[in-house]
Amino acid sequence: MSATSRIDKSEVAEAGALRDDLNTAWKLITYVILITGAVVMALPFFWMISTACKAPQELNTLPVQWIPQNPVCLQNLAALYEQSPNFNNYLLNSAFVTIARTVGQLITCSLAAYGFARFRFPGKNILFAMSLGLLMVPFQAILIPEYLLLRQLDWLNTFAALIVPGTFSAFAMFLLRQAFMQIPVELEESAMIDGANPLQVLFRITLPLSQAALAAFAVITVQAAWNDFLFPLVVAGTEPSVRVVTIVVALLQGERSTPWNLLMMGSFLATVPMLILFVIMQRHFVEGVSLSGLGGK
Amino acid sequence: MTKFARPLALVLVAALFFGVTGVTLAQDAPAIAPQACAEPGELTMRVWDENWAAVIQESIDAWVADYCPGAVVTLEVVPWDQYWTLLRTNATSGDLPDVFNVSQDRFFFYAENGAVLDLQPYWDEFGVDTTLWGSGMIDPYRWGEADDLYAAPVNWDTIVVFYNKDMFDAAGVEYPTSAWTWDDFAAASAALTDPANDVYGSAVYSEYQAGYTNFIASTGIPPVVGAGRTECTLDEPRSIEALEFLQGLYAEGYMPSVSVMGGASATDSFNFWLAGRVAMVTNGSWSLPTAIEQATFNWDVVQLPRNPETERTRSIVHSVGYVAAGNSDVPDLAANLILYLVSDEGSAFFANAGGVAPANPAQQQAWVESFGDTTVNIQAFVDALEDSQGVTVFDEIWDAANTELVINIFDLNVSVADAVAQACGFIDAQLAAQ
Amino acid sequence: MTAFLDLFGKTPLTRRRAYWGLALVAPNVLGLLFFFGIPVVLAFRTSLLDWNGIRPPVEIGLGNFEHLLNDPAFWNAFGVTLKLLAVVIPIGMVLSLVVALMLNRKLHGRSFFRVVYFLPVVTSTVAATMAWTWMFQPRYGLIANVLAPIGLQDLNWLTRPDLVLFPIAAVVIWQRLGFDMILFLAGLQAIPRQLYDAARMDGADGIRMFRHITLPLLSPTTFLVLILQVISAIQIFDQVYIMTARTTRGGMNDSATTLSLFLYETAFTNSDLGYSAAIALAMFAITLLLTVAQITLQRRWVYYESGSE
Repeated sequence: MSATSRIDKSEVAEAGALRDDLNTAWKLITYVILITGAVVMALPFFWMISTACKAPQELNTLPVQWIPQNPVCLQNLAALYEQSPNFNNYLLNSAFVTIARTVGQLITCSLAAYGFARFRFPGKNILFAMSLGLLMVPFQAILIPEYLLLRQLDWLNTFAALIVPGTFSAFAMFLLRQAFMQIPVELEESAMIDGANPLQVLFRITLPLSQAALAAFAVITVQAAWNDFLFPLVVAGTEPSVRVVTIVVALLQGERSTPWNLLMMGSFLATVPMLILFVIMQRHFVEGVSLSGLGGK
Repeated sequence: MTKFARPLALVLVAALFFGVTGVTLAQDAPAIAPQACAEPGELTMRVWDENWAAVIQESIDAWVADYCPGAVVTLEVVPWDQYWTLLRTNATSGDLPDVFNVSQDRFFFYAENGAVLDLQPYWDEFGVDTTLWGSGMIDPYRWGEADDLYAAPVNWDTIVVFYNKDMFDAAGVEYPTSAWTWDDFAAASAALTDPANDVYGSAVYSEYQAGYTNFIASTGIPPVVGAGRTECTLDEPRSIEALEFLQGLYAEGYMPSVSVMGGASATDSFNFWLAGRVAMVTNGSWSLPTAIEQATFNWDVVQLPRNPETERTRSIVHSVGYVAAGNSDVPDLAANLILYLVSDEGSAFFANAGGVAPANPAQQQAWVESFGDTTVNIQAFVDALEDSQGVTVFDEIWDAANTELVINIFDLNVSVADAVAQACGFIDAQLAAQ
Repeated sequence: MTAFLDLFGKTPLTRRRAYWGLALVAPNVLGLLFFFGIPVVLAFRTSLLDWNGIRPPVEIGLGNFEHLLNDPAFWNAFGVTLKLLAVVIPIGMVLSLVVALMLNRKLHGRSFFRVVYFLPVVTSTVAATMAWTWMFQPRYGLIANVLAPIGLQDLNWLTRPDLVLFPIAAVVIWQRLGFDMILFLAGLQAIPRQLYDAARMDGADGIRMFRHITLPLLSPTTFLVLILQVISAIQIFDQVYIMTARTTRGGMNDSATTLSLFLYETAFTNSDLGYSAAIALAMFAITLLLTVAQITLQRRWVYYESGSE
């Protein structure tokens, strides 16, 4: 398999120079593509920030004014808190619901994913298909039945309604199962031989090896719980003590007129925690793991 | 005919009694006086506008303190965009709030399904002469054999032309007066259009309430759907005449297309006006605070131009209403709260806050004065009320009339005849299904 | 009794593993069945009713399904959804994979780019609406400016039935890219670096390594992304709602009305809850069919390190 030995030195040098040129060209192309894409990706976000800093007189200009002439970020921030004095409480409500749902899903879904990835038991395929099938039912279709169910449980307008159903997830289970199945089974087998039970194997070996998948899980689950809007509105939208931030931001939108600058300031504040989380989490998407003991594989 | 028999009879009786005409009666109407509730209890009330929640809460507190000590009211505020979705979800389990806001176009569904309480017995009991509200404000809220009034109108908004005075000055065009006609309007649109600077003369065809329907109404027929909700009126000659008048202005390049404005709603054309891209737009009294806060040029308002034949200036008027749930445990209490909220005393809270005008005529002057010493002709909105037309569309018909017709004519350049044929096909099918 | 126990395995060890497996999956599966399975059953039940949500429901058997098969509005929504699916999935997957591959390499500003490409996932829907409607606005919009040199600055993207799906597909891809990128990044991370080192020693070039290492070892993730893409593409709702909010919802003549939007309007505008449940079940059946097909086909291209159990 050793190809290098058959090629003489000059050819190697030539190929190396060519590769360097190619690499430079390739890098350039990569940057051009990435930067162009980045502009498109970021424009709406940038629009949000720029609007959040506009004075009312600057809200309506055509063509769109990207940089406010007289930025009034702080005044708009103050105006937002004046209009919605409990904004911080709603942020805390969102944080509480999000953390509870994420921790809940981490437990239920990693257990289930491990069960589906590594064990044989009767009804396994049917149970897995049924769980996955629930992802396929459009959310709009179960909105009313879900409301009726939670009403039956007498959970409407409580944190229970916002949290408990969200601690189970077919999506997260599927995501983690795929990740676990990518991990060489030999690593787990050696631990089993040493007498560890499946839970110990899951927590000591499988989960630590799934760092990137867990980071993806965290980002996606937290983001989904945090941005959830129609569901919390329907099951707990009218009770201010359990109101989440997405509803508060939507309330800034009037029937006929909307203070766009305040609305965008509110949206921006609601986005910041998600961005911080992603900035931290993205470090876990490192290039390739080093699996010890698999050198020659 | 029966639909209007009752109010008409009342007006006549009242006119004979007071020896005045119906119109002046409305101006000098006796106050709506709140009454003490029979028995306090608990109720929930739901509204959609967070901006008004504080004012509503204030008036509820006053009701509890002065008329119903011991009553407990839970005020729920729901975002406008999801208000109807949530209401329909709650309806599936019979959990409608005891008192809630409706709009004229959505009232139909709740009335048709018996989900709202008939307030007529209460009006009779409280001695409220419902004709003190303009017919455009309350006719869409009448229901049943006897045309009972199911909702209490909270506020009203009429449509006028907002115009950019700086552009009139620059083009050397005189400011319009309430006597102006379609011809004057067309001439001004032409004179104000300035393609070199990407400026249009006018944009007046937008969504149902603030747009083309006002022009149809001024020809003397109810726009889109006829009285009694039995037929589409868009294909009648006078509707076509109004639409072709507007299409002419569009075809000449005096009005922008829907796409160029970015949307078909009155808000889109109003923002286009705020951006200084068009000299005249039609819009409602709800936009006054926005215009005062955001316009960077001199501006004023004037009543809609008159149809040359009928010589009428006619505005679509809309009133948000309060209704009580049909299955409320505390119907008397709910009706008592509603009575208070629309009474002289209760609606004063709104009048003094500015913004939307309270439906109670006794508070009209207070509303005009809430704008302080502005140069803007606020009185134009009140004058527009005089000859006004209630909303005629409801449920799905709203969308068809609202946006599809407008886009067909003013964006996709479909002929008026084809566009109204398509709209009427849909609307007639919907009416037949009712 | 033994026959029953045999279901769990022939030997005590395999039985023990089966019990473990059931115990592990139980909390999530039971929770899902309770909180989402019951509503789905209720939806099934509703599909047999004529119910507007206020009046007492009327049993009409399979009436809603009969209506469905003969309803041009349903087939229109089905066609719109398929068109979007055909555009959004291949482009979305290739783009997100390309971005993930680029951002998985050592690159200046890698973290910055990752955050930027993730922005659409967290940008508020309202902000996205405003910004994208503006981007496609004729004359003033960004795209109009780009197309101006070829005289297309006044194209009315959002009102023309033949154009409206392009902006919608663009927003779907835009919003979904960051999400799939994360999944691909996580999948790339799981490929042992030693494999590349060994291949490089053997003189393999980038393209060969991509074909023989990256693609096969990433295939479980690709499979996950594909399944999720199909499920979410059939349920496209927000983006249509967003992009047509200011013109006419669902596009002119329903040219952009997807199945989800059709379902939503049937339930919340037309108040036909029974029919909307029937639409939901039809969507479920379509998705299930496509997913079963993918699961069957996965054996041909998905490579599991530990073998598919």
